[in-house]
Amino acid sequence: MKLTVNKGLSLVLLVIAASYLFMAYNLPEYAFVPVDADLIPKLLGFALVILSICFFFSKDIDTEEQKKKRVIKKKEAGMLLGVMVLILLYITVLEVVGFVIMTAAFIIVCTRFLGYQNWIATISTAVIFSVGAYALFNYGLAIRLPAGILPF
Amino acid sequence: MFEGIAQGFQVAFSWEAILFIFIGVFVGTIIGMIPGLGPISAIAIMIPVTYSMDPTIALVMMAGVYYGSMYGGSTSSILLNAPGVAGTVAASFDGYPMAQQGKAGKALAISAIASFVGGTVSVILLMLFAPVLASVAIIFGPPEYFALMLLGLTAIASLSEGSTIKALISAVLGFMIVTIGIDAQTGTSRFTFGSVNLLDGVDFLVIALGVCAIAEVCFLILNRKQKLSGLHNIGSLKLTKEDFKEMKGPMTRQSFIGFILGVLPGAGATISSFVAYISEKKMAKNPEEFGKGSIKGLTAPETANNAATSGAFVPLLSLGIPGSGTTAVMLGAFLVLGVQPGPLLMTENPTVFWGIIVSMYLGNVFLLILNLPLIPYFVKILKVPRPLLISLVIISSLIGVYAVSFSTFDLYLLVVFGIIGYLMRIFAFPAAPFILAFILGGMMENALRQSLTISGGSWDIFFTSPLTLSLFALTIIAIVVPAWRDRVKRRKGKDTPLGL
Amino acid sequence: MSRKLFVLMIIGLLLLTGCTMPVQTGSINAAGEWEPDRSIEVIAPSAAGGGWDTTARMLARTIDEENLSDQGFGVVNKPGGGGAVGWAYIHKRNDPHNLFISSPPIHFVKQNGQSPYGYDDFTPIANLIADYGAFAVRDDARWDTLGELFEEMKESPENITVVGNSSPGSMDHMQFIMFADAAGVDITKIRYVSDQEGGAMTGVLNGSIDVISTGVLDAAEQARAGKMKVLGITAPERLKGDEFLETLPTGREQGIDAEFIVWRGIFGPPDMTEEQLTYYEDIIKETSESEAFADIRNRYGWDERFMDSEEFKDFLDEQSVEIEALLKELGFITE
Repeated sequence: MKLTVNKGLSLVLLVIAASYLFMAYNLPEYAFVPVDADLIPKLLGFALVILSICFFFSKDIDTEEQKKKRVIKKKEAGMLLGVMVLILLYITVLEVVGFVIMTAAFIIVCTRFLGYQNWIATISTAVIFSVGAYALFNYGLAIRLPAGILPF
Repeated sequence: MFEGIAQGFQVAFSWEAILFIFIGVFVGTIIGMIPGLGPISAIAIMIPVTYSMDPTIALVMMAGVYYGSMYGGSTSSILLNAPGVAGTVAASFDGYPMAQQGKAGKALAISAIASFVGGTVSVILLMLFAPVLASVAIIFGPPEYFALMLLGLTAIASLSEGSTIKALISAVLGFMIVTIGIDAQTGTSRFTFGSVNLLDGVDFLVIALGVCAIAEVCFLILNRKQKLSGLHNIGSLKLTKEDFKEMKGPMTRQSFIGFILGVLPGAGATISSFVAYISEKKMAKNPEEFGKGSIKGLTAPETANNAATSGAFVPLLSLGIPGSGTTAVMLGAFLVLGVQPGPLLMTENPTVFWGIIVSMYLGNVFLLILNLPLIPYFVKILKVPRPLLISLVIISSLIGVYAVSFSTFDLYLLVVFGIIGYLMRIFAFPAAPFILAFILGGMMENALRQSLTISGGSWDIFFTSPLTLSLFALTIIAIVVPAWRDRVKRRKGKDTPLGL
Repeated sequence: MSRKLFVLMIIGLLLLTGCTMPVQTGSINAAGEWEPDRSIEVIAPSAAGGGWDTTARMLARTIDEENLSDQGFGVVNKPGGGGAVGWAYIHKRNDPHNLFISSPPIHFVKQNGQSPYGYDDFTPIANLIADYGAFAVRDDARWDTLGELFEEMKESPENITVVGNSSPGSMDHMQFIMFADAAGVDITKIRYVSDQEGGAMTGVLNGSIDVISTGVLDAAEQARAGKMKVLGITAPERLKGDEFLETLPTGREQGIDAEFIVWRGIFGPPDMTEEQLTYYEDIIKETSESEAFADIRNRYGWDERFMDSEEFKDFLDEQSVEIEALLKELGFITE
């Protein structure tokens, strides 16, 4: 039997519910309150179990429109993944390299990657935005963003 | 009292006060527009500025910062679907679709006018009833809050985009996320996987920016070559007579409802904006337009959250009780300036008390005349070429989260919730119930367990107060009536797609 | 072209993750005094706006404005885990240019198992100020003294509920436990409700909860207006300087042998040299004695309580032992 999208999803949700419940049952006990920390999580876990079972047997209402949303061309999927990798890179090295450099670099690389050709507009926006935001936060709002390898 | 009000007018209309109210709302609006920075940060940031100022003037300015930042927050919510604070989430439901349809200028104008009306009406209420309302603010104990949150959660059904069961699943998932972290009632750490970073739970910002902004970015990337429709008059603020007619109802009703909910400690702007949205949807003749750029759907939460802001001053000024994180920081600002808000403030320090209240009229006017002319400039952001706009939205979300948590861990979480939000969207699970349950769930669990600790485990505590009982009754009505209406509709043959 | 770009960037990433901001140790000058290499980071392990943050900002501000150091003092927020995230950061860096502000929660968070590091994993430099707790009830409540309240709690503890802003096992809860324990109440039967969203005072005012355990200033304001009565404060002796505050009775004078000081002090990283410690101790002492800081203390209602490193450490040891015993009895610490 081939699973429909909704049936597959409900199985995934069931697994989430089960692991959540497992953790809820393993919460440490605290003796001096009438209702302990595990009550609500247990209720939530069971609620999700029931809901995913209902969902499994519910009339499949996966419309054409939704199906269309899920169909992504390979190249487009690559785009999404690419931007995600860029974001992860940004996060990982933000505190080391510093805000100004990373932000400017991100804006330039990401914009270029998404296919915008105007270098001048991109670079000037990137520089103005990153320096401006840094100045605003550090000096205007006294919120310190990572300076990184730059001396200020 | 009238003498006090007269003094208040004298203070608020002095040149110095007018100048600083203006500075306050201006700075507040700017800070509020930065995703991630809401009223709390805006006030905290401005406290040091006030040290050497005259206390009354300083507090008048801080009040301006408060509602200015509340107003500014909806700009990013409407233009970029990036709500920085919980109170502006509801504004994105219809504001963002409107902006997408090329009516960004109009959406911002509606937001400005609705905020102005909500703010002004509620200041009148505040002036008339502040002394009386002080006693209303404290009638809510834990059981009443539990009942209120339960009523709030019934909104899940109305926020579903067709399938009730999917909405419920979203809500349960959102509720599950909020159970992460140290449990408030026992100190047990739940679902933290041993990570110190999760002890405080997942921050609201991470959820809101992840599930709304980052998920939206994914679609922007896929559709980056599509042109926005109607870009040529995107900055047009023109509202027709019909538009105003539509706004009138929600503005009048929600000014009152928003104010009352704002008075209750703990409820505040967030809950009032959701309640406003849902109640208008329930009352509307054409509820199917909600979520697709309905004027009513934008007017309602915008009116209510600003009305709630003045409402929040009731417990703060007349009881000295901060009802929310924001008013707690505001209380800090008062203390620094040597003014102790509380039951004695009105009699011992009438200039401050009435000065702040009267200044809010001015502040709201300033907000309107400051922002309407700027709207054409704000909406220009949407004319930025898509690839560049996408990069800027991503970076702004990242900065917003980082400036609050200072942790890269939260940035990774932001990406995770962005992916979750994207998956929810492509499988048609609505995001609104997820966020609503995340906001209300934690408060509801706390209220429930506080009540049971007080009663020693007996559930009777929920059935003794008339207030709790009436809230429960409203909850039942809220569930039963729409379900019944649907049935009737379906019998008539107008089948509405329902999940089950 | 995009593939090449990625490969390049991933290589870059690998190179970069290897290095972090260098830890500097400063140097010793001719007079045998330590000199920092760069500006000092005072870390507030909380978000902007809270008690730690305010203290840190006021300290840094006074030092800068009064020119008490030739290096700048800047405040950095590292919120998370009730302080645990900030502490872990400082412990890992172990850089003498990092200081942080702390207060009693450092005991509670560590002992409740929510942080691997406690006060004894760092170098206590000096204590700066003190604050006290208070126990208050509604104005028409049937108790007028702590003695009466605790007498009733001994007989029927299940009739009385206590509320505070902090979670169980932390400050508001434990200061009440300390006093109840000293009065001979069975502390495992005390019903404590935690309200972290600002509803604690409301709960007592509307009668759904009996007692609030909170800070002196919060309770005093309601008492001043005649809405509440303060049964006792946790200070060792009566407060001075304000007519009304002077009337609030301490626990000691009501025959309850307990006190709880909400101190706020400055700590440094684990390994500090004698010279580094002296350098900071001096700066903080000067700050504490400055007029500018006295003015700040008055504004916020803080008490002057300077303790040098040694005194501070002894005080912390003592408080820690006391708290540990109570937490064990309540089951927060299990062997």
